[in-house]
Parts: sequence; structure tokens; C-alpha cells
Amino acid sequence: MDEVLVIEGLRKRYGAPPKGVQANDGVDLRIGAGQVVGLLGHNGAGKTTLVNQVVGLALPDEGRITLAGVDAVARPDEARRLASVQAQANVPITGLTARRAIDLVGRLRGGSRADVRRRTDHLLDALDLGPWADVTAQKVSGGVARLAAFAMAAVAPGALVVLDEPTNDVDPVRRRLLWAEIRRIADEGAAVLLVTHNVREAETVVDRVTILDHGRVLADETPGDLVAWHGADSLEDVYIELVGSGEHARDAAEEDVA
Amino acid sequence: MSTLAIHPAPAARQLGLLLQWQFRRMSQFLPLLVVVQILLAVTTVLGYGLLVGTPPPEQALYLATGASTVTLVMVGLVMTPQMVAQARTEGSLDWMRTLPVPRPVFLGADLALWTLIALPGMVLGVVAGAAKFHVHLSLSPWLPVAAIVVSLTAACVGYAIACLLPPQVAQLVSQVLVFVVLLFSPVSFPASRLPGWLEHAHQWLPVQPMADAMRATLVSDRFTMPLRSTLVLAAWCVASLVAATWSLRKRA
Repeated sequence: MDEVLVIEGLRKRYGAPPKGVQANDGVDLRIGAGQVVGLLGHNGAGKTTLVNQVVGLALPDEGRITLAGVDAVARPDEARRLASVQAQANVPITGLTARRAIDLVGRLRGGSRADVRRRTDHLLDALDLGPWADVTAQKVSGGVARLAAFAMAAVAPGALVVLDEPTNDVDPVRRRLLWAEIRRIADEGAAVLLVTHNVREAETVVDRVTILDHGRVLADETPGDLVAWHGADSLEDVYIELVGSGEHARDAAEEDVA
Repeated sequence: MSTLAIHPAPAARQLGLLLQWQFRRMSQFLPLLVVVQILLAVTTVLGYGLLVGTPPPEQALYLATGASTVTLVMVGLVMTPQMVAQARTEGSLDWMRTLPVPRPVFLGADLALWTLIALPGMVLGVVAGAAKFHVHLSLSPWLPVAAIVVSLTAACVGYAIACLLPPQVAQLVSQVLVFVVLLFSPVSFPASRLPGWLEHAHQWLPVQPMADAMRATLVSDRFTMPLRSTLVLAAWCVASLVAATWSLRKRA
């Protein structure tokens, strides 16, 4: 399997010691073409910092990031062509319809008008967004806007697709549709990095789970192997066992329940 | 459906698509923004008119032409930082920065939008000033160039402020700039009225050269663009463009 994303020894600190935060502390991660890797961790575990370095928004202190053979640290402009991103924050689509926003991103990323239109139609249909496709974003629910943001990342996927909490606010039915689309993107050859708090999402969609805590990788295995090796009943049990039963773990579990 | 090989659209096409994006995003507020700019320009003229009564001819020329500069500068130095700071707070600016779009193209789309928003206010401010103070305009063919350079420089400075300072500080700075530009910059009155130290400072700041450029192209038979102002404005234009582009490239 071709490796699309290779992260080696990544370190990133915000602020000087002793007050600062070591957001990533020697992270190693590899994602092959066609793989979906779930990045799991509590708030402040270093997930978003990791993603920001991959997509060229933050500069690592140490370590290497290679994206489809390109040094993403030295050549962030080129790396941006290879990665499509659904950010955790809302996308700026007020005033646009979902259809128009997906179409514009697809064409900005280099898709032909006809190809992007076909892909946009497919995504609107696959995510059951039809009724809201031509409604301006300020009139749709948060979940629909989130699905539109996912479609914007999926319409012209790069070698790597980064999805940061894609199912936040999404109803259970469409969440499953979205998971199916993530799998489809991977089956077409993209590597997918799925950042999530949702352990069930990780269990359902991903090929491998990477659990991050205090900027370090605690585990990087298939969900099945993790559960079996820890003799646990579920991935959630493994997660809580690994990150501890402290405040962070309780927060994460509560978010999952919510 | 197969994965697209990513070869981003050519820069000119990306510029068009981004402009379309930004216009549609602002479509709800665009008429209001334009109206506010027009009101700002016209009320600047009328407000100063109330303050000074019937001004002598040279002062009338400053008042009549000052509103256009104020409008362009306000959009760039005040509205741009506020909008960009808001986008930073929401996180949407970071998402835009993940798109495979060269930073100058990204900046160009925003600057074109801000310039277009400022244009109606600029034109109506000049018309109102000329009518109110009975000023005869003699427009130079360089007027569009001057307006674009002033708008570009102001917006780039505003962009850099918004990207480099924390969002709340950027918004605060933009508020302070309103008063500095309106009351303590030689835009609607000659620099000689300012205290010596401030007059000297304005020789190195961009607002006075901006006002000089607009005056020299709106009333070209009475004013010329001083060489010093040309050089200072050019330096600010280049420096602010570099700073704005750098601030968009900057990684945390």
C-alpha cells in the first residue's frame, strides 16, 4: 500500500516552559492510500495542532511531515494541493447555497465545471441534502451546514482528506450516510484522517485508531486489535483505560453520549 | 467517481471564483455596506461644513476632496481589519487558508471587493463636496490609479493589522484609527494646522500621501502630487502588500 501521509517525530510547543503547552510530543503517524485513520483524543490532546501542521497552518518545532512524497513542512503550498480539509470551525458559506459552495470549492481545486457538477450532484444525493441544496446557508441547520462542509472537502478530494469532527450536529441517519461517503472516498484511493471525539464513529468507519493524549500517541492499531489486546468490551472502554479515568476522560465520554 | 488529481485552477480563474465567493457571502450586507460608506463620505463633507461655516477657497478644496480619501481609508483601515478579525475568530479564515490558492490571489480577491465597496462612497463624497463648497473639479486621468493605490495600501495595512494582532486588539486598533484619520490626519485640512511633531510624523505615515494623491487627481489644476508623497505612498503600498501576503503565509 502506498503511504500518503508520513509523520515522524513531530513536536510542537506553544509558549516557553514552564508555562507553555507541549501540544505534540514526538508524534509518529502513517496513513496509506485507501485507509481511514481515526485520530481520537480528549480536548487539548493535540489533535487540531497535528492537523494544522499537516495542512500548513502551523510550523512544527521538530519532525517531518511527508504528503504524497512532498515535504509538507518545507513546501506548504504544494502540500495544500494534495490535501482537502474539513475544518472543525464553520466554513464561511453565509450567503451561498450548499450547491454553490461545493461547486466553487471543486472548481477552485481544479475540477472542470462538468465534472464538479456531477460530483456535487452525487454528494448532495448521497448525503440526502436535496431539500437544502439550493437554500442559503444561513437558513439551514448546523447539521446541514456541517454536511455541506464535508461535501466541500469531498468534491475534489486530494491524496489526503482531513476531516475534523465531520459529524458534529449531524443527525444519526445522515451520519451513517456521511460515514458511507468517507468509506467511498477511501475506496477511491484517498487517505483519510478522521479527527473525532466520537468513539462509536471511530469504531464504525476507521481502519485504524490513533489515540493521542498530552501530545503523545498512546495507541495506533485497528479497533478490533485494540479491544482484543486490552480484553475490553468496546473501544470506548479501551479509550478510557488508556487516557485514564480522570477529568479528561469523563469529558470525552460525556461528549460521546451527547 | 474517481479521485481528482489536484491541479488547481489557473490564478486568474481562481481570482474570479474567489471574487464570486466573497460577493455571494456578502450579498446580504453589501447594499448596507455601500450605503454606510456613502453616508460616511457625504456626512463627512456636510459635518465639516457645519463646523467651518463658509470656508475660504483653499480650505473648501481640502474639504471637498477629503471625503473621498476618508472613504477609501476607512474601508481599508477600519472595515477590513474588523471583517478579517471576525473571520479569524470564527476560524473561517484558517479554512480559507487551507485552499490551494496562492496568497496574492487570495489577497487580490479581498482587496478588489473592498475597493468596489468603497467606490460609490468615494464618488458621491466628491460630488457632495463639490456641490456643497462650490468647488470646480479638474479630474486627472490618473484618478483611477490613485484611488486603487490608496485603497490597496489602506486595505493591505488593515489586512496585516488583522492577521498579525490578536482579533480583539485588531478591532480596537481599527476603532482608534477612525478618530486618528478623521480628526488628526491632514486629509480635510492642511498639515500645517497640526502640532509640529504630528505634522512631522505624517510625513512618514501613509494617510497624508493618500490625501495628496486624491487631491492631485481630483483638482489637478490646483494641486500636484509632491515627489516625497509619491515615494512615501509607493513605499507603504509595497511594504503593506508584502506584510499582508506574509501575514497570510505565516504559520503559527
